[in-house]
Amino acid sequence: MSTIEVSGSDRTRTKEVDVRWVDADVHPLPHPGDGFLGYAPDGWRDRLAPRGHEISGVSARILDQPEANKAPTGKVDSYSPRGGPACSDPQFAAQQLLVETGMDIGILLPMGRDHRNPDYEHALKTTVNNWLADIWLDQHNQHRRWRGSISVTNREPELAAREIERWAGHPMMVQVLMSPQRPAYAFGDPKLDPIYEAAARHRLPVATHLMANLPYENSIKPVGVGGHFSDYISAWGLILASHLMSLVFDGAFDRHPTLKVVFVEGGFLWVLPLMWRMDAIWEARRSELPWVKRRPSEYVRDQVYFTTQPLDDVDTREEIAFTRWLDMAANLIFATDYPHWTYDDPKWALRRLPKELHPRIQHENATELYGLPQTVPALPGA
Amino acid sequence: MQVRQPINKGARRSAREYVVCRQEDLPPGRMVIAPVGKFGVGVYNVHGILYAINNYCPHMGGPLCSGNVYGTNLWDDVRGRAEHVLDGRIARCPWHAWEIDVATGVSVADARKRTRTYDVRVENGEVVLTR
Amino acid sequence: MSGLLIDAAVQPFCRDGREIYDYMDEVNRDRGFPDVESQWYQAPGGDYDESLYGKGYPGSDPEIASRHLFEDDGVDVAILNPRTRGNLPDFQLNTAVCSASNRWLAHRWLDEGNPHGRFRGTIRVNPEDVPGSVAEIERWGDHPLMVQVGVPLQSRDLYGRPRFYPIWAAAAEAGLPICISTNGGAGLEYPPTPTGHARTYSQYIAFMAYNYVYHLLNILTEPLFKEVPGAVFVFSDGGAEQLTPFIWKLDTLWLGVRDQTPWVDRPPSEYLKDHVRLGFSRLDKPPGDSVPIVDWLAQTGKEDVVMYASNYPFWWRNHPDDLYEGTTKEQTEKVRWRNAGEVYRGVTAEAA
Ligand code: FES
Repeated sequence: MSTIEVSGSDRTRTKEVDVRWVDADVHPLPHPGDGFLGYAPDGWRDRLAPRGHEISGVSARILDQPEANKAPTGKVDSYSPRGGPACSDPQFAAQQLLVETGMDIGILLPMGRDHRNPDYEHALKTTVNNWLADIWLDQHNQHRRWRGSISVTNREPELAAREIERWAGHPMMVQVLMSPQRPAYAFGDPKLDPIYEAAARHRLPVATHLMANLPYENSIKPVGVGGHFSDYISAWGLILASHLMSLVFDGAFDRHPTLKVVFVEGGFLWVLPLMWRMDAIWEARRSELPWVKRRPSEYVRDQVYFTTQPLDDVDTREEIAFTRWLDMAANLIFATDYPHWTYDDPKWALRRLPKELHPRIQHENATELYGLPQTVPALPGA
Repeated sequence: MQVRQPINKGARRSAREYVVCRQEDLPPGRMVIAPVGKFGVGVYNVHGILYAINNYCPHMGGPLCSGNVYGTNLWDDVRGRAEHVLDGRIARCPWHAWEIDVATGVSVADARKRTRTYDVRVENGEVVLTR
Repeated sequence: MSGLLIDAAVQPFCRDGREIYDYMDEVNRDRGFPDVESQWYQAPGGDYDESLYGKGYPGSDPEIASRHLFEDDGVDVAILNPRTRGNLPDFQLNTAVCSASNRWLAHRWLDEGNPHGRFRGTIRVNPEDVPGSVAEIERWGDHPLMVQVGVPLQSRDLYGRPRFYPIWAAAAEAGLPICISTNGGAGLEYPPTPTGHARTYSQYIAFMAYNYVYHLLNILTEPLFKEVPGAVFVFSDGGAEQLTPFIWKLDTLWLGVRDQTPWVDRPPSEYLKDHVRLGFSRLDKPPGDSVPIVDWLAQTGKEDVVMYASNYPFWWRNHPDDLYEGTTKEQTEKVRWRNAGEVYRGVTAEAA
């Protein structure tokens, strides 16, 4: 495989290309060669990893994706010849996602670092940030195509705010990332205000994404937990729906009028009927919600973004009709979810999205939201 | 995205026929991708019977044949239980795990979704594909 | 016939919290248990339609309810579904409360209060007590005016799970759909949203409408319809507006993990028309003409599963005209009575 690095001496001569595609959901994992635990804060190095799984060689997931036995972390063809889990080799990932698939910028969202113990979770998130900044945003980012997320624990909002401050000036960190899974607070809870204040102060959107269905990250659902991967994951958007209701009804958007929230990989069609219901409830019960000054749907349209992946594999015309009814040109952002198996191929995705929205979804909304450049250095072989 | 499977060295025999490999190079349980058409064609030996399908998934066009090969689980209404069947005949797409029966090119879940199949035979010890 | 109107969700109440004791069996008559009011999340200002306060417990007088439903709103048949209690830890007490509810409903509403013959009833059962539920269904299954079996939405496990199949089989055997609806009272429950206890009543009531999705997706994923082919589920609280987004997700995922659930041998959405119904109220539909209602109702077959539901006597009570403005004549008929007529025995013939 040819190297996709843009070497230092070449950089001045490399021609720039327009940013046409931003992928808002890429999931890097540590490679065994990265020395991940070396990035842990003082005193945590030896306390972080649950070692048993390293010996057993089997993932702890309780609801298995297809072929979980053979490819526990990614789609089958996303494993690098250098070994390691899918998307743990920045070179290979750049070749597959940037060169071959044609993404111009990839936003990196490390997953799966929730923990039952909040201090432990904070230490894990700190470690992830140190590792991501070094391996992906510095050592392997000469092409300046990768952007990072600042992982924080929302169960210790003060610590999380400090972590945001620690990274806020980093030119390649473009958002805050927190888990939506319990025992996290509902997102509108005033206890999370320190996170939102820090994020808004630095104009960093706050993103959320499913962290994993490992037992300790799983949460009891209101009427019972899905029995299979398909019903469990199909219902996933309801968690985000509940967080969105909380953000609106608990007044978080009123308290933080410049806050932007990004719901990643949780669907977006449910947002339309959710806005109908929230607006109707608000009209009926306004006197109980004096702190919610505007119609709920207005906050959603002004302050919330949704990534498009995974698009549904259903009648294309029906799907496009629904997306047109949604009428959220300014709120949808393309994502592939590389290297996961629910990956959306860009060409396929475009066929399922209304044509008039393509430029906004492909890159305009993301470049505005994340403050991304209009051009990036060309890559050899692209 | 490229096909990552090493492309087997074969030879064009005529405008319509392509020699994929020698018969002994495709034992039962094995598959080779012949560089035929835009995406290549996966030629499978399933328990001694040869099948060939387009290396192009009817879903998003993933490299269908470069994934794993399995059987599948189907519900048996008479016995009232799930049975593991079609062992070695199900190509599982490496992108989103759709199951395609290599004998028919048809998706197990939804028969309306299918990929192209090709005729393949053994002639004078060689595996010959008709496009 | 196009004028027929079946109301799939009316909640009858006792005159007060003590009336139910008159119907308790002797063994349990001296026990204490909560009333049917919501415990944590009552609407500020009251759960019931403002106009119904002041004349006794709202929804507790068959005569007044008849006037409101049959005379004012033009309903032909109303399906009564009493709330029982929450999930009481003492399963036999909970079953006894359900039995009392059934005796009370049969006596007060389906007999005494039913001179016009337009009320139909629900056999309440306690799903934590499978044999007790089966016995209760066998006891009431022949009652000509009992048209469904009722269980609480707030469960400790999803209703597609095999442990519940004997109950669903008994209901199917009796030709009764199973109604899953929000229950009252205090009981063992998980927090009402997947992000924990809501801080506002607004979030509580908005999200409760979506909890049916968990049950629905599970029902469509487990081997239920192979084991109990005749089972029909009614989600009378509504939430139809989220049906399309979530059923599309399930159909999509199923294509990749079908082999984990081989008993689901067709796209899950194909089960909806024969096995699922949803109550339909003004909160479950697009506001005004924001989307083309005819297309919206047709999408993923919503028009084949929604049934008019007044939710009398709650504050979000509907009147029939709220519902089908702009729909086709055929869709209007489906909402008013055809979809209900397909799952509730005897309701269309007797109303005609
Ligand atoms: S591209 Fe083959 S399953 Fe999606």
